[in-house]
Amino acid sequence: MSLQIEDLMSKAIEHSSKIGARFTEVKGEDTITRNIEAINNEIRTVSQIRNVGIGVRVFCGKGQGFCFSNVLDEANTFRTVETAAKIAKASAKKTLINLKLAEVTSIREKKTTKVDKHPRDVSLDDKKDLCMRMCKTAMESSKRITSVTSRFGEYFGTIYYSNTEGTQVSYEPLLVGTGASCVAKKGKTMVDARDYHGASDGLTTFEEEHSPEKMAENAAKWAIEKLSAKLAPAGKFDALVDPELAGTLAHESFGHLSEGDFVMIGGSPLTGKIGQKLGTELATIIDEGLPEKGGYKIYFDDEGVPCEKVEILKKGTLNHYLHSRVTAKAAKMAVTGNARSQDYSYEPIVRMRNTYFDVGDYKPEEALSGLKQGIYAIDSSGGQVQDTGTFLFKAVRGYWVENGELKYPLRDVALTGNILELLKNIDAVGNDLKISTTPFGGCGKMDQRAFVGTGGPHVRIKGVLFGGAA
Amino acid sequence: MEEFLEIGHKAVNHAQKLGADEADIFLYRENHVSVKFVGGIFASRGGAVKGMKGTLARVGEFWLKKKGLPITSSGVKAGIGIRAVINKATGFSSVSSVEEKNVLEAVEEAVKIAKIRPPDPNWVSLPEAKKPFGKSGIYDKKVSDLDAGKMLDQCVDCCVTASDFDKRITQAMAMIVSTSYSFAVVNTNGVEVSDKGTTFEADIGTKAKSGSEEVASGDFLISRTFTEDLQSIATNAAMKTLECFGKKTLPEKYSGQVLFENTGWYQLFSVILTYGISALNLQENRSVYKGKLGNQVASDNVSIMDDGTLSDGYGTSKADDEGVPRQKTPVIEKGVLSNVLYDNYTAKRERKDSTGNASRQWYAVARYAVQPLIRPSNLIMSPDKGNLEDLKGILKEGVLVKGQLIGALHSNTITGDFSVTADNAFKIEKGEVAFPLKACTLAGNFYETLNHVIAIGNDSRNFGNFVCPSLIVDKIVVAT
Repeated sequence: MSLQIEDLMSKAIEHSSKIGARFTEVKGEDTITRNIEAINNEIRTVSQIRNVGIGVRVFCGKGQGFCFSNVLDEANTFRTVETAAKIAKASAKKTLINLKLAEVTSIREKKTTKVDKHPRDVSLDDKKDLCMRMCKTAMESSKRITSVTSRFGEYFGTIYYSNTEGTQVSYEPLLVGTGASCVAKKGKTMVDARDYHGASDGLTTFEEEHSPEKMAENAAKWAIEKLSAKLAPAGKFDALVDPELAGTLAHESFGHLSEGDFVMIGGSPLTGKIGQKLGTELATIIDEGLPEKGGYKIYFDDEGVPCEKVEILKKGTLNHYLHSRVTAKAAKMAVTGNARSQDYSYEPIVRMRNTYFDVGDYKPEEALSGLKQGIYAIDSSGGQVQDTGTFLFKAVRGYWVENGELKYPLRDVALTGNILELLKNIDAVGNDLKISTTPFGGCGKMDQRAFVGTGGPHVRIKGVLFGGAA
Repeated sequence: MEEFLEIGHKAVNHAQKLGADEADIFLYRENHVSVKFVGGIFASRGGAVKGMKGTLARVGEFWLKKKGLPITSSGVKAGIGIRAVINKATGFSSVSSVEEKNVLEAVEEAVKIAKIRPPDPNWVSLPEAKKPFGKSGIYDKKVSDLDAGKMLDQCVDCCVTASDFDKRITQAMAMIVSTSYSFAVVNTNGVEVSDKGTTFEADIGTKAKSGSEEVASGDFLISRTFTEDLQSIATNAAMKTLECFGKKTLPEKYSGQVLFENTGWYQLFSVILTYGISALNLQENRSVYKGKLGNQVASDNVSIMDDGTLSDGYGTSKADDEGVPRQKTPVIEKGVLSNVLYDNYTAKRERKDSTGNASRQWYAVARYAVQPLIRPSNLIMSPDKGNLEDLKGILKEGVLVKGQLIGALHSNTITGDFSVTADNAFKIEKGEVAFPLKACTLAGNFYETLNHVIAIGNDSRNFGNFVCPSLIVDKIVVAT
């Protein structure tokens, strides 16, 4: 099959030159996604999706057109290219912006992924056991745990890319993840808590600190603790956020604003602010494809550009936007390798990869001990962000802190504010970087989902507005 | 179609050869074209054209009017989803291909998965062949023959119409999506059915500015047939936007009757009721309707029916996504809960017949990659009388909510509690619009409001799998 895809891709490229295309690129894909879910010691769902197909983007004159197909024969491949060209030509007559591509050096490279216990080589039974072990451990840990859901997910295969400039690359994406979530009950009080772990790695990643038993114990322990947690007070407090929540802040509230397409149409408050000081010296936010440790590893984006490390915010100063070849050209900036598509059936748009706050000098316990009075907010269950940078996030749990000590646990707390204000109030950054990723969900933009990594160290922020019960 | 059925039979036979007690396959193919156009004229009014001399500016404006940023995508997606059942355990596998080799590989995976799952004590069997089938879905050749160029022209025309409507319009966006699809279901119990259909959707959004006030709204169309003239939707979008100027806050929190235009009501109706009337959610104690069959659950004037045979319905087809004929199922009759919706699994669990409500639609996932879920085909709330104007007269004092709601998807589907934001709401006094409201939150409980339906209009609109009119309900708290 893989040979067939690459053959068809070459034929598509060749065919496009005959029909007046200025530039053509083809993404090919052959990937597998598997999910297993267990609820209360019972396997509920096991599903497998294999995704095979090609997507073709053609530039004719000022216009571009996109067409995809998963009927992989020569006739359909040619028709796909012709339709994309037809759309490009029709669009050219209507487009206000001359879509040009930033110049890049063409490359030919094949990246393979070799890990111990690659999910391809591990039996379905073993994966099922991961879920069952999580359920069993959590159910047995306390009578107060009334329901446990555990999950295992994997995604792997090969992504191919080639274009008329001679670039021809492929890599083997890999993502595995598990998660345990527990519901605990006491009287009428019902609470939940979770732990999860994901990595671009083999199943060896689910050993030791991320073993199913450890994750289930954590989820159960945190749920039980939440039973006696108090509602968070509303008002302005100093806050310490954990790496998970720091990652959500970096990705959701800041990262999206730095996306080149958003900047290009003037929709982002970061438009025209390169070189401006936006935060304290301690605030550095990075987006990259291949973090040293953790996260979701991506070698090339879906325009065949190597995923560069970008310091979006460098010591508080806005340094770079995230770009596709189109937005880089419009902004006269360097390409960064941020053009990504959900799968072959979507065209690439500007997306993040692994977005995180860079480390500082503080040990996490020092960051905590410097917190006189405030909230230690942990993990995030999502929230809303507006174009202006105003955000509302829900932390999953937390603690009330006095004189650097955890006083008592708090239930779900909501944090609100504006990221541009928040960056100015960062007063301590830990040295404990952690980048998380998950095969369950991911980031959504313009109807496309993408796997991403988010993270950071512990970050201490002055004067954060907490909204009380979320 | 013949080809689909042939490969379908090969697949289920292969599953049986590999040891499956039963198997079914869903085969699907879809041609999809999506065109979005963000009008460029409006930026040019203040931007690009600014500084040009008089005549040039006019020429420039005319020229730019038909230009903007087109984003167009098109393609073919085909694939299969297979269920293999071994010892009451189901394995599911799917592949984005209908080639024999790939299909048979997927069958092998499904069998492997079934073998590692424990038996499900509630499993009885896959559907049996049952006839007659329902009505075929509408297949409009004009939709399947549409090309992106033609659709792009329609989008541009819509943007021009909307922007020409009033000088205060600053931006217009039009999106048109056409889909033509065919599917087949084959199983080892003799089910064999295929059908095809088309859908055509248009969505137009406009923004307007006056002084420092910015307002936005839009209008849309969901149909199974091609609609050439979208001008009225573009005009509506502009009008719905302009009427929002002059927004004020409510002097104090309002609690009481609210008139929902069908566009807003449908969102709560679809999200919450779909959950509440799913037999699975009753069986698993997640629905407030558990144990309520035959009971009064809504006002006397409320009747709701699922009709998979509705002539122009979005969800109309010969059979559902596991091959059970579509049918009519009354859900609420004059306020009394008479039935809930079943797929094959939940029906057999109660020794009943499926109501033909198995669906494989899911957000951002191809249909063949989704296992059957219970969803309405065309869930219709019976209309009564009067249009939106008449309903305003009935309401007399209260709040009118037009346009779309933000946050309906985050409603608590188990309890029915919702808290949504409306950007196009109006204060009604003496049966007339007194003033538009700044973005307001509406909070209430869906199931409670169903028991407090004051009046229902006859202006039903088709919102995909849902058809509903505008209506007045009580017990809503509104705050700006």
